[in-house]
Amino acid sequence: MSNRSRPLFGYRARFTLTCYALLAVQMTLLVVFVYVPVFWAFSKSFFKFEVGSESRFVGFANYAELLFRDPTTLPSLLHMLFLTAFAVCVRLSVPLVVAKLIHSLSREKSRYLFRLLFLVPVVVPGVAVQLIWYGMIYNDRGMLNELLRMAGLEEFVRGWLSDPSTALVAVAFVGFPWVGGFEVLIYYAGLSSIPESVTEAALLEGCTGIQKFFRIDIPMVMSQLKLILILTIIAGVQSFEGLFILTKGGPGFRTMVPGLWMYFNAFSFQRMGYACAIGVCLFFIILGLTVLNMRYFRSTTELEGRG
Amino acid sequence: MTGDRQRRVRDLALMLCIGSFGVLTLVPFAFTLNNSFRANYELDHAFFGFPENLTGLARAAVAAISGSDAVFSVETDTGELVEATGWDAAGRYWHAATKGYRVSWGSLRPYMINTFIVCGATTLGVVTLGSISAYILSRYRFFGSRLVFYFIIGTMMFPAALTLVPSFVVVRNLGLLNTYWAMVLPYIAGGQVFATFVFKGFFDGLPEELFESARIDGAGHFRIYLDIVLPLSKPVLSVVAIMNILGTWNNFLWPFIVNTDGRYHVIASGLYVLATTTFAQNYSSLFAAYMTASIPLLVLFTYATRPFVRGVTSGAFKA
Repeated sequence: MSNRSRPLFGYRARFTLTCYALLAVQMTLLVVFVYVPVFWAFSKSFFKFEVGSESRFVGFANYAELLFRDPTTLPSLLHMLFLTAFAVCVRLSVPLVVAKLIHSLSREKSRYLFRLLFLVPVVVPGVAVQLIWYGMIYNDRGMLNELLRMAGLEEFVRGWLSDPSTALVAVAFVGFPWVGGFEVLIYYAGLSSIPESVTEAALLEGCTGIQKFFRIDIPMVMSQLKLILILTIIAGVQSFEGLFILTKGGPGFRTMVPGLWMYFNAFSFQRMGYACAIGVCLFFIILGLTVLNMRYFRSTTELEGRG
Repeated sequence: MTGDRQRRVRDLALMLCIGSFGVLTLVPFAFTLNNSFRANYELDHAFFGFPENLTGLARAAVAAISGSDAVFSVETDTGELVEATGWDAAGRYWHAATKGYRVSWGSLRPYMINTFIVCGATTLGVVTLGSISAYILSRYRFFGSRLVFYFIIGTMMFPAALTLVPSFVVVRNLGLLNTYWAMVLPYIAGGQVFATFVFKGFFDGLPEELFESARIDGAGHFRIYLDIVLPLSKPVLSVVAIMNILGTWNNFLWPFIVNTDGRYHVIASGLYVLATTTFAQNYSSLFAAYMTASIPLLVLFTYATRPFVRGVTSGAFKA
């Protein structure tokens, strides 16, 4: 009985152990499905490596090939840059304008209903949206071509995604007019949080309409703009699901982006090591852009803190 | 009075502006819905048009109500024409119009069930694990607790592009390809990070007096978590859960990669498979599949919009 009264560890140690026991599941999942893949991404990028067969150390050969010898590298980077810049432009402007228009309505009920209206397309699976644009709008007998035929503009009729001169722009225009329901909600939240006093002061100074939008509203929603900017850049650099569905990088390599090239290398050509090297490069691009973003764009909270 | 009138004119102008954005946004979806009721030959004949079977349905319904005994010839599933009158004709027209939905449902149903299983398990795991870790990290200081927090939050630094290929290798080496686990476990691993972050922010803001009075009343750690913290954090829980469901629901690439034999496809990857194989040339079934696939989230949103809008609008989302 006497040795039961003395616990093996002190209370503090037992408490700490209990905490770790409760955190164990989460930590294990993170190690297995995040940290191990991250470690492998870096280490396997130095190997020539096929799934199911042995891997061979090749040093920086994968990186050298990617940076200097692969003819797709430069075009894919430029396509990625164009698509990302385009997405940034439309996502920072259109939803903000729509949110401002909704915010300017005088009745609370109509403001709520219009916010809901733009949330409706969110229920359609993202893949279905891409497939609708692929099959119903850009198709040879799709909406765009049928509209052109009806207007008598037969010479403009084309396979928008298969014509090398239009493919990239057609990809960028998917989702027109780019009024994302979430973005509207987030910008709307920013506009609603502008204090009444600021609006009144602006009014007294005779600052209204367009001027107020640029001088008051945009600086006051800067933190929301910054959030959407970061998210859009990260998505633009790494995501390629849309391109996979729409064009598979074609025609030729006209819409190839690094992420898609990584996918093909890994899952079509069985060049896992090379794919890992592309992934590592994408990681550093995203890291660099995020750091730049945090450096040079101050959010409103920081501005308030300084003021 | 003039001020009131001016405001109404201004509102009307604003609504026209917003409305035109709304119409442009919804046009593709409206056309998908419309064309899901139209057979291929109708599309070939005229791209823009109302479904023949639905106009037939309307005419038959009018005839039935007005008591006329006009005879309609309606196509059956096998393609032959049947003569019918009144409500019988209307029913047959409806049956013919919704053919695409019936055809596509057979292929869609397993995908739907898989999605429910994957989404449900993922969301449950994310909310449970996320809230427990956030509670521990927010309320207790112990040896290495800050380190653990950075260990969890640090994973946000790694983009999906970096881990996509090696994650596949991990899942393959664990022998999880073509199972639900291949989707559920990585989703939980990734999703709980954001959940922990959001929950911890919320728990940190709960007043200390709350926990003190609960302790004085004799509640243990687990009781406090279950009976006080969880009920209080319902709004945050629902936002995290909805964000998670949306992310899981829309993830196309990962299920597409890890279901090498195609048995456990979810809606997202399944729709792609249907669009490129089975229904590549059968537009009404394909469009019907898109529409059917949108119903679950539509139901979710009709019940959860209010807390969701409130959650997003509360200002939790800024950088």
